[in-house]
Amino acid sequence: MEDAILDRDLSDAAPAQAVPAEWQGLDYHALNAMLNLYDDAGRIRFEADRMAARQYFLSHVNQNTVFFHSLEEKLRYLVEEGYYEADVLEQYDPAFIPRIWDAAYRVKFRFPTFLGAFKYYTSYTLKTRDGKRYLERFEDRVVMVALTLARGDEALALRLMQEILAGRFQPATPTFLNAGKAQRGELISCFLLRIEDNMESIGRAINSALQLSKRGGGVALMLTNIREHGAAIKGIENQSSGVIPVMKLLEDSFSYANQLGARQGAGAVYLNAHHPDILRFLDTKRENADEKIRIKTLSLGVVIPDITFELAKRNEEMYLFSPHDVEKVYGTPFSEISVTERYREMVDNPKIRKRKINARAFFQTLAEIQFESGYPYLMFEDTVNRANPVAGRITMSNLCSEILQVNEASAFNDDLSYRHLGTDISCNLGSLNIAKAMDGGDLGATVETAVRALNAVSEMSAINSVPSIRRGNDESHAIGLGQMNLHGFLARERIHYGSPEGIDFTNIYFATVLYHCLRASNALARERGHSFAGFEASTYADGSFFGKYVTRDWLPATETVADLFARFGIAVPTRADWAALRDAVMDGGLYNRNLQAVPPTGSISYINNATSSIHPITAKIEIRKEGKIGRVYYPAAYMTNENLEYYRDAYEIGPEAIIDTYAAATQHVDQGLSLTLFFKDTASTRDINRAQIHAWKAGIKTIYYIRLRQMALEGTEVQGCVSCAL
Amino acid sequence: MKDFAGRPVPRAINWNRVQDDKDLEIWNRLTVNFWLPEKVPLSNDIQSWSQLTGDEQRLTIRVFTGLTLLDTIQNTVGAPALMPDAVTPHEEAVLTNIAFMEAVHARSYSSIFSTLCSTPEVDEAFRWSEENPHLQQKARLILDEYDAASQPLKKKVASVFLESFLFYSGFYLPMHWSSRARLTNTADLIRLIIRDEAVHGYYIGYKFQRGLERLSEAERQEIKDFAFALIFDLYAIECRYTETLYDPLGLTEDVKAFLHYNANKALQNLGFENLFPDELCRVNPAILAALSPNADENHDFFSGSGSSYVIGKAVATEDEDWDF
Repeated sequence: MEDAILDRDLSDAAPAQAVPAEWQGLDYHALNAMLNLYDDAGRIRFEADRMAARQYFLSHVNQNTVFFHSLEEKLRYLVEEGYYEADVLEQYDPAFIPRIWDAAYRVKFRFPTFLGAFKYYTSYTLKTRDGKRYLERFEDRVVMVALTLARGDEALALRLMQEILAGRFQPATPTFLNAGKAQRGELISCFLLRIEDNMESIGRAINSALQLSKRGGGVALMLTNIREHGAAIKGIENQSSGVIPVMKLLEDSFSYANQLGARQGAGAVYLNAHHPDILRFLDTKRENADEKIRIKTLSLGVVIPDITFELAKRNEEMYLFSPHDVEKVYGTPFSEISVTERYREMVDNPKIRKRKINARAFFQTLAEIQFESGYPYLMFEDTVNRANPVAGRITMSNLCSEILQVNEASAFNDDLSYRHLGTDISCNLGSLNIAKAMDGGDLGATVETAVRALNAVSEMSAINSVPSIRRGNDESHAIGLGQMNLHGFLARERIHYGSPEGIDFTNIYFATVLYHCLRASNALARERGHSFAGFEASTYADGSFFGKYVTRDWLPATETVADLFARFGIAVPTRADWAALRDAVMDGGLYNRNLQAVPPTGSISYINNATSSIHPITAKIEIRKEGKIGRVYYPAAYMTNENLEYYRDAYEIGPEAIIDTYAAATQHVDQGLSLTLFFKDTASTRDINRAQIHAWKAGIKTIYYIRLRQMALEGTEVQGCVSCAL
Repeated sequence: MKDFAGRPVPRAINWNRVQDDKDLEIWNRLTVNFWLPEKVPLSNDIQSWSQLTGDEQRLTIRVFTGLTLLDTIQNTVGAPALMPDAVTPHEEAVLTNIAFMEAVHARSYSSIFSTLCSTPEVDEAFRWSEENPHLQQKARLILDEYDAASQPLKKKVASVFLESFLFYSGFYLPMHWSSRARLTNTADLIRLIIRDEAVHGYYIGYKFQRGLERLSEAERQEIKDFAFALIFDLYAIECRYTETLYDPLGLTEDVKAFLHYNANKALQNLGFENLFPDELCRVNPAILAALSPNADENHDFFSGSGSSYVIGKAVATEDEDWDF
C-alpha cells in the first residue's frame, strides 16, 4: 500500500516510445500541438501526444505534488487542514480505508492523452489553497468520490471505485470535482427554473440564478409566461418592456457569480415560438445587434409545438399570443397550454391580443441566427410531452437541452416568501463509456452501480437557497444517466457511425440500458419502501409504458450487432424479461421519476478518453478551447493511423445520419439527448431547416447547437495542419 | 454646356459580369466573415488579465498599439492607395471591404484596451508607439511605398508584406498567451483578425502576380529585386523590434522563427521562393497550430464564443421541404 504512494516513478501517463531527436527540448504544449501537424509521411503523430502526457507528469505534475510518507499521514493532513470532509471517511471502518486505496492504486491507472491529464490536473484535482501544488492523484479523487457517494456501504464504495477507475462510469463534473472536499460547490450539474408573469417571480428568479451559479452548474429559465413588450400593466397599455430586459438582468447575474472561480456561471433562457417577443428574442444574437439588446453569453432556446410545423407546411401565418391575455382567459400560465391543441381557439378569441408572422419566414430566421451564433436550441414541445411517462407538462429544457422534466409554478407574497411552493427541476448526471461498459461484460451491474451513485447525489442534495428546487428533488429523485464514446466504440469495432449496424447497435444498447435503469430504480423503491411522488399517475404504474417492449422484440437486427453483444457477453433483455420487469415495477414502483438524459459530455469525456456523448467526432484531432486550459489538441478515442476511415467527422457524416442515430436512442430515453447538428459553410438556411424538419419527423426531442465549419481559403491554410485537411 | 468629351463614362458595377472570378470568391469570403469586436466577450478575460505581471501587461498593451498602428495605416492609406490601380471594378469593391475591415481591426484593439486596461496605461502605450524608433521606421518604409507616385506593383508588395509579415511579430503574443490559457477571448478576437489578414494578403498577392505576368522579363526582375530588398530591410527592423519587446520574456528566438515562417508565407503570396530555410522556420507547434484560421474548434457555453460562426446564406424553404 505505502509502496504505491511512495512510488516516485509513477508517472500516471502511458510510457512513450523512442522519439525523434528534434522533439527533444519541446515542452508539453508544443508536443501536444504536434498532434495537429502531420509528419513528413502524412501520418498523425499520436506518439507526440503520448510524450506530451509523459512530459507533463515529469516536468510539471510530479514536481508540484505534495509528498506524504503514508496514506495515513496524507489523510490526517487533508482532514486537519480542512481539505477533506472528515465525515466522509468516518462512515467507514478504519481498516477499510487503506484497503480501498490499495485496491485503487493496484489498478495502475494511466492517462492515455495529454488533454485528459491536463484537464484533470487543471480543473478537478484538489490543490493547496494557493492553487500551486497538487494534493491528489487521479486515484485519490476517484476513491473520495466513491466513499462519498457510497455513504458507508463498503461493497458499494468498492464497486463504484472500480467502475470509475475502469472508465465504465464517470460522474458529471460537479460530482467528480466536489465530492469529499470540505470547501466545495454542489454535486448537482443543472437547474431549471420557471418564471411567472409577475415582478416577485422575476426577482426571485434572479436571486435563484445568483445562488445556483454560486454553487455550480448551469441554470435555465423559462420566459414563456412573461408578458410581451408593449403589453398592459394594471390595465394601462404599452407599459411592459417584455422579455429582453429580463434576459439582460440574467446575463449580468451569471457573469457576476461563479463557483469559487472554478467555473463561470452559465445560463439559458427558453421562450415559446408563439410568444409575441420571439423575433426580438432571436435578434439579440444577431451579429449587428445594438449593444443595449445584444446577448453575448446567455444561451437561447425556443420551444416549438407541432402546430408551428403544420402552419409552415401550409405556408400560413403563425399567430403569436399575449401570455398575459392567455393567462386571463384560461386561468393558467401560457406555458401550461398546449398551443397545438388550443391554437384555433386562441386565434378566434378576441380577448387574446395577437400578432402574426409568416411561419416559414420564422423558421428561416431561426436558421439565420443559428448560422451566426449557433443558437437557439430547439425543443419540440409536443414530441416531448407525448413521450413523457409522468403526469404534468414539460415546458422547457436546460443549458444542454437534455433535461426534460415536469415542473409546477410557485406563487409569492409581497416579501418574496412563498404563497405556494411549486417545484423546479434539478438533475444530477453521469455517463457510461459505451466501449468500456461493453468491455466490462456486465452492463446490468455497471448501470445499477451508476444509478445508485446518481441517486446518492440526489438524496444527499438539499438546495436550501431555492426551496422550489429542493422540493422538486425531494419528491422526484430525478437522475440522468448519459452515455459517451459511441463513435469511439463503433470505430474500434470497425463499424461506421450512422450505418445500419451503427444504428442497430445504438437502438439495442439503449433498450438494454433502459431495462437495467428501471430494474435498479425498482430495487431502490423496494429498499426505501416508497416511489417518487406521483408514481401512481405515471404510465409506469399502469404498465402502459412497457407496451412497446412486451408486444415486440428489441433484439439486434443485424448479424454484426448480434455477434457484438454475444462476443462481449452482454445479454439483451427478451420480451419475457420486459414483462417480468413491468410486473415488478407495477408492484414495487420506481424510486426515481426520471432516469436517463444524454448530456454533451465535454470535459469528462477527455478525462475518460471517450468521444463526446453519442455524437460523431467533430475532427480527427479536436481543437479544444476553454477558459481555464487554453487551446489544446485531443485525438479521437482508439484512433490510429490504420483505422482512420472509421473516423469520418460530423461534417462529413452530415445531419441525416446523426439524426437517425439519435432517433434510435431517443425512443428508449425518458428525458432528452443533446443533439448538435453540423454543417459545412456551403450550407444555406434551407439545409438547416430541412434537417430540423427531418429531426422533428424522426421523433427527436431537442436540438442543441448548430455548428458550422468554414475551411480556410485555399492558399491561406497552415501547411501540414491536420485540422485544415478535409 | 461643359464639354465631357475625353473623360471616361461613369459606369455602374455589374456583379453579373465578373472578369476575374477571384474577385467574387474573395468578396463572398470577406462578407461572410464580417464581424464586430462586440461579438467577443472580452470581459471574460478581466480575471486572466489581472494575473499577468505588470511587465507582461505593459508588453501586451504595447504589442497591441503596434498592431493598431499597422491596421490604421492599412485602413487609411494602404487599401485606398491600391484602389487607383485596380484593374476591375470588382477589385475596387473588394478593396473597400478590406479597408473597412482594417478599420474594424484597429477599433478592436481599443475594445480590448477599454475592457482590460486603465486610460493612463493606454495613453502611455500610444505615446510609446509614437516614439518607438523601430515601429516608426517600419511604418515609414511602408508608407513611402504607398506614395501615389510609386509603381503599382511595388505598392502591392508593400501591402502584402504588411498584411502577411509585419503583423505577426505582434500576433505571436496573444497566441502565446492563449496556448497557456491566458486571455483566451482576446485570442479569439485576434484569430478573427488573422482570419481576415490571411485572406487580404492572399488576395493582394494574387493581384500582384496577375500584374507581374504582364511585365517584361527585365521589369519582373526589377520588381523582384525590389521585393527582396524591402523584405531584408523590414526583417532587420522586425528583428530589433522583436528583441526590444520579447527579450524580457525570453521568447525572442521563438518569435524570430515565427518571423521567418511568415516572411516565407508573404513571399509565397507574391509567388516568390522562400527566403528562409525550413530549419529557421521551426515555429513552436503550439503557436503554429493556434494560427489555423479554420473555424473548427470546439467550445462550450462556459468558454468564449470562438471564431467559428459566419453569416449564412438565406434560402427560403420550398413546399417539398415540408413533406410530412
